[in-house]
Amino acid sequence: MDVQQAREDLHRRTLSEIVRPLDRLIYLASMRDYNTGVYHHDGLASRFTEEVACEALADCHREVFHQLVVCPLEDLVDQLEAYRKSTHTGPREFLTAWRRLEPYRVAVPVETDPLGAEFLFSNFKIALAILEARLDSLPAELSA
Amino acid sequence: MIQLIFFLLVGALLLSSLFFLARRGSRAEGNAQVLVEARQALNALQVGLLPRELVARIFANDDREYVASVAPGPLYELFLSERKKVALSWVNQVHTQVLSLKRFHLGAARFYTRLSLRTEIELAWHFAALLVTCRALQCLVYVAGPFAAPRMVGTTATVAAKVCEISEKSLAFLNPVQFGPVADRSVGL
Repeated sequence: MDVQQAREDLHRRTLSEIVRPLDRLIYLASMRDYNTGVYHHDGLASRFTEEVACEALADCHREVFHQLVVCPLEDLVDQLEAYRKSTHTGPREFLTAWRRLEPYRVAVPVETDPLGAEFLFSNFKIALAILEARLDSLPAELSA
Repeated sequence: MIQLIFFLLVGALLLSSLFFLARRGSRAEGNAQVLVEARQALNALQVGLLPRELVARIFANDDREYVASVAPGPLYELFLSERKKVALSWVNQVHTQVLSLKRFHLGAARFYTRLSLRTEIELAWHFAALLVTCRALQCLVYVAGPFAAPRMVGTTATVAAKVCEISEKSLAFLNPVQFGPVADRSVGL
């Protein structure tokens, strides 16, 4: 029950401000300690407990991961482009970094079904290739 | 001489009893292993492989049409090869998990559950159909790509879901027991 309330609180106060599932995935993954796999959110923990906050964040992370896995490729391409714009990074720089570092691999929740993760990674790969092709088709001064 | 024969007989008796005990122990462990594998296979199918939305998305024709319209040529080829990899992985995993469930039903299930003859025949038919369909689908996806047999994908998912439903009932005894309101009953005493 507490976890449900914490989830609602998280949705109301924070996630409602983050519209795109991709942005939510990156935000929620950033709440997780890479060494322990435990999620931290001071505000949520102060209103509930550390454990409840962690559980609520993990639930929301899994939920948004699922949304991205089943979203159409076209939608994923649009989300990736919108996310790129929100970071104020140049398109070439962004695409190069994402293709080389594949940061989406560390944004996956723990205990994710392997096929779902494999499918999402594959979709990211295609989405990045589409964005790159789109960029290549633009005149040089616009693509910089 | 008689003493030697006597000790040899006792030794042989002890050794054979040890052998039988060891065999009995390993069989029990093996059964537990089959149960664990069956439960894991059921979870993998129900949570990871068979959700309708996921299957529909992996084999979605609208994604193919989208890529064909925005990026024909090498990019389209990349898309087809990526989807083929995922589709083959899906079929392989469904096949593996179904085999695991089949092993459970062939071996351990009869000791724990009482399925009716009709259900057993139905299950046997489903297993046979599923395993053949999975193999055929693997070949089709490999040769003609992931969008070649949407109906076969649908049939595989539907039959696998039915097998899961029956297996779920067979494995129900592994679920935690829901005790009734003990406190109320004790008050009644």
